[in-house]
Amino acid sequence: MLKIDHILGFATEPAVAEALHDLEHRGAVEYLVLSPADTQRHRLRALTDRGTECAIALPRAQQLANGAVLLLEGGRAIVVRMSEIEWLALEPRDAAAALELGYCAGNMHWKVEFAGARLRIALQGPADSYLERLAHLTRDGRVAVQQA
Amino acid sequence: MSAVAQAAARSAHPGAARVGIGGPVGSGKTALLERLIPRFRARGTNIAVITNDLVTREDAERVRRSGLIDPARVLAVETGACPHTAIREDPTLNLQAADALEAKFGPLDLILIESGGDNLASTFSLDLVDYWLFVIDTAGGDDIPRKRGLGIVQCDLLVINKVDLAPYVRVDVERMVREGGQVRQGRPILLTNCHSGEGVDAVVERIGADVLFDR
Repeated sequence: MLKIDHILGFATEPAVAEALHDLEHRGAVEYLVLSPADTQRHRLRALTDRGTECAIALPRAQQLANGAVLLLEGGRAIVVRMSEIEWLALEPRDAAAALELGYCAGNMHWKVEFAGARLRIALQGPADSYLERLAHLTRDGRVAVQQA
Repeated sequence: MSAVAQAAARSAHPGAARVGIGGPVGSGKTALLERLIPRFRARGTNIAVITNDLVTREDAERVRRSGLIDPARVLAVETGACPHTAIREDPTLNLQAADALEAKFGPLDLILIESGGDNLASTFSLDLVDYWLFVIDTAGGDDIPRKRGLGIVQCDLLVINKVDLAPYVRVDVERMVREGGQVRQGRPILLTNCHSGEGVDAVVERIGADVLFDR
């Protein structure tokens, strides 16, 4: 278990990027893929893509993010990759359906964004569990599920 | 330790792990807290506690009077509104309380943050905690896990308490665990009887392994 107690820097910083570039050519960069939710944590245990177990305990002032470098020594590096947010896109048929959909999403405390006439829900679990709670809106066509 | 030495220790310390304990009214959150405190203390964990109550400080007073922990290490947050507002929508009061405990008693290893009793949709913000438990109990009925409340689905560790009561309320605990496992996609579930302490060691071990990294 590799204990990590601070973020060394970010892959966007020139000096760090240069070091990572060299290591990447030598196949010595491991990636720790985290969900957007997990990047909010200051403590977690997770495996890199090469199976290194990391026990992360960060100061409150630091925040995990895409490109955060957790290890850069001994000819290897560990870099955080944030997995992409999965979205469920919904399009209400009219204003009444939009109101009801908006109420439902708010009542469920879902994280959403607006994309024109569509409401996009950031999924934190299987899409089916969201669709089940929207069945009263989708079964009669008042709200349509669209490609995210 | 001098103030300067304490400050130096704090700066080298990442800060306490913050662990939330949520769940419905009467499920046994405070009882679990009372069982966890002595176990963590026995393993050398430097601990403090925050309790959230709706309009009283009753849970904090109960823990302070328990004799299990220095009463000064227990802070109360009085939410005044639905308890989930203080652990999810705006956790400012809890963040301030946690910072105050770290400043006074740090470096701490662990701060346990107990939510006020709420409903099955209650969840913790990961801005406040690193890890959170959701406590339900057998007397609430064995249909609770499969109802897929957000708390049950999203928590890091689901605790099913009062397993001793299951025969008296005609509840099938195995079914609760099986259906809980399905809705949680295999994430951990532990069984406890906080009256006797049965199963609590496993909760301690799980928190130790997942956020304290001390074993």
